[in-house]
Amino acid sequence: MDDRSADSDPVTAGESSILDTLGEDVIRIVSPVSLCMLLVVLLVSSLSSTNDLSSSISSLFLSSTTTPTSFSSLNLLLLGSDSTWEEIKSALVTAFSFVVVVTLLTFLLVLLFYFRCTNFLRIYMGISSLFVLSFLGGFISLLLISHFKIPIDPFTFAILLFNLSVVGVFAVFMPKFPISVNQGYLVAIGVLTAYWFTMLPEWTTWALLIAMSLYDLAAVLLPIGPLRLLVELAMSRNEEIPALVYEARPVDPQPGDRVRVWRERTDVRIEATENSTNSANVQTVQETRLAVSEEITAPLIEAFPQTGDRHLGTEEEEDGIGLGSSGAIKLGLGDFIFYSVLVGRAAMYDYMTVYACYLAIMAGLGVTLLLLAVYRKALPALPVSIMLGVVFYLLTRVLLEVFVVQCSSNLLMF
Amino acid sequence: MRCRLDSLSLIVCLHLLSIDGDDDKGERSQIGDTMTVAAGVGYVLIALGPALSLFASVIAKKPFLILTLLSSTLFWLISLIILAGAWRAFLPVKSTELWPYSILILTSVGFQEGIRIGFWRLFKKMEDMLNAFADRVSKPRLFLTDKMQLALAGGLGHGLAHAVFFCLSLLTPAFGPATFYVDKCPSIPFFLISAIIALGFVIIHTFSMVIAFNGYTEGKRKDQIFVPFAHLIAALITLINLVPGGCNIGLPLLCIMAGTTLYYSWQLVWRRLTEHQTTRSSD
Repeated sequence: MDDRSADSDPVTAGESSILDTLGEDVIRIVSPVSLCMLLVVLLVSSLSSTNDLSSSISSLFLSSTTTPTSFSSLNLLLLGSDSTWEEIKSALVTAFSFVVVVTLLTFLLVLLFYFRCTNFLRIYMGISSLFVLSFLGGFISLLLISHFKIPIDPFTFAILLFNLSVVGVFAVFMPKFPISVNQGYLVAIGVLTAYWFTMLPEWTTWALLIAMSLYDLAAVLLPIGPLRLLVELAMSRNEEIPALVYEARPVDPQPGDRVRVWRERTDVRIEATENSTNSANVQTVQETRLAVSEEITAPLIEAFPQTGDRHLGTEEEEDGIGLGSSGAIKLGLGDFIFYSVLVGRAAMYDYMTVYACYLAIMAGLGVTLLLLAVYRKALPALPVSIMLGVVFYLLTRVLLEVFVVQCSSNLLMF
Repeated sequence: MRCRLDSLSLIVCLHLLSIDGDDDKGERSQIGDTMTVAAGVGYVLIALGPALSLFASVIAKKPFLILTLLSSTLFWLISLIILAGAWRAFLPVKSTELWPYSILILTSVGFQEGIRIGFWRLFKKMEDMLNAFADRVSKPRLFLTDKMQLALAGGLGHGLAHAVFFCLSLLTPAFGPATFYVDKCPSIPFFLISAIIALGFVIIHTFSMVIAFNGYTEGKRKDQIFVPFAHLIAALITLINLVPGGCNIGLPLLCIMAGTTLYYSWQLVWRRLTEHQTTRSSD
């Protein structure tokens, strides 16, 4: 009797099916990306109802800091028209200048890393996280407070903001911080930066997304690409790149020290995918020169723990479907930010485009992970998802919306 | 949100309602705002309640099922985009006759059912890959319950995509302070009708995938015929909504159809599991 029931019920038999744990790592990276996108969509949809205060604050902010946005709006002012062709031209110019600046800065980063100025880079990373959390976080909190009429006095607000920013800097900066706080703050930084980017004009956002995905493709795959040089340097030296990287480690602690170190073992799969991480820094400078947003590269890698607290069994050497449960997948924060920018911009149009773009980005992420498992070398994570996202956005806006509205307004569904 | 669908006047109205609801004036009462958010959330839960509970109880526990759900949602979206592309030249249908809409429904359902067979082939390939992987890591192969859970996740993905694209994306004005009625159905708010129809179709899609996969695996004609048939009947029932006052008949019929699908799938799974149990015990 017992045997019969035990056989038919896998749980009581004590054997677990492979379906129980397969794909865990992928879900652990899909959840924070989805959370980041959800938060950006919520922010965009709740703050985009043109509140006078928010629009005046945002225009104030944009004019006081010299940002690429102001460049394009300056362009528009000078040209004196908001015709579509002028917008497209200024968008292309803005996107191109942004990519040029990012390339130069990434080469600078490679140079600094080559001369082993890692301390300088880490301090810079800390300062940029502080900037994002305090200035951008404060700005967006002010927008939220004014929109939802939350009663709070300035002193409490200042204390809270200061505390949260400082803890955030420590969380992303120091290596032994609790991982869930680290992950939470990285998602927060991604949300804030992505929301800031969605405040750009529409054509500029799309041009920027496409330009950044092309840049990512070039920087990682071309032999002279800065990101590729960076990864090779780090791997040859067995060092970690100081960067804002989301590490999808499980929250419960593992025994033994987990040092995040690059490894070059030929028997174990190491996939290094790189993306530009935005420690998106808008530096408020007194001069009127164009401010830049810096980027620090970060890899999408499957890092393996140094000690043997997870046994790398035979499954790791398989040409599997790339879903082995081992180590942790790391995704650069720039990916978070640009995915959320795309979804946020889709949210400014309609929720249907949001869902379509979300599915497209997830599909792109899945395809990238599969390619990772097949090619086993540095791959950029931005291009596939962004291209799919843009395609789906266009298709939804042009084709799907009319069809679905036609059907459901007549209450016809299938 | 700005009014973006100018070609359809009723959607313009919906947007004016939603823009009015936004809290620019500041003197609007708090109760009025929260009531309307509650209404919007209520409509979402009507359409997606069973789906969410299925998700939380069955699918969220196994990461692979979540991935299956996402990919089947994507699959349904792609099929919908292809359909929309094929029909784009003929839209918007201005006539109030039944026949253009019935052609629309027939072609759409036919296409989706044809795609389901392709989906099943993909599913078989995935099953083979999973079994090969299980052999390599010396774990047991996929159990029958695993395969059924995969079918359930696939079906839930389809149903979720249907609810999201046909109901949720039009639900934004429901979060504002007013509601909207369609001419043909003046007794029930538009949002409630679309939520109930979405609920019916979520159930139909979810469980017809279970029935279809079992039918294709076992090769039983009865199951294979049942699924397209049920889908077609359900879609044709929504045609009744075109007639003024038809939604009062159409909605209950759709719910009956959903209940029938649920019952059929329940009987099928029960039979399958008891057969499996007896064959294993007799070995």
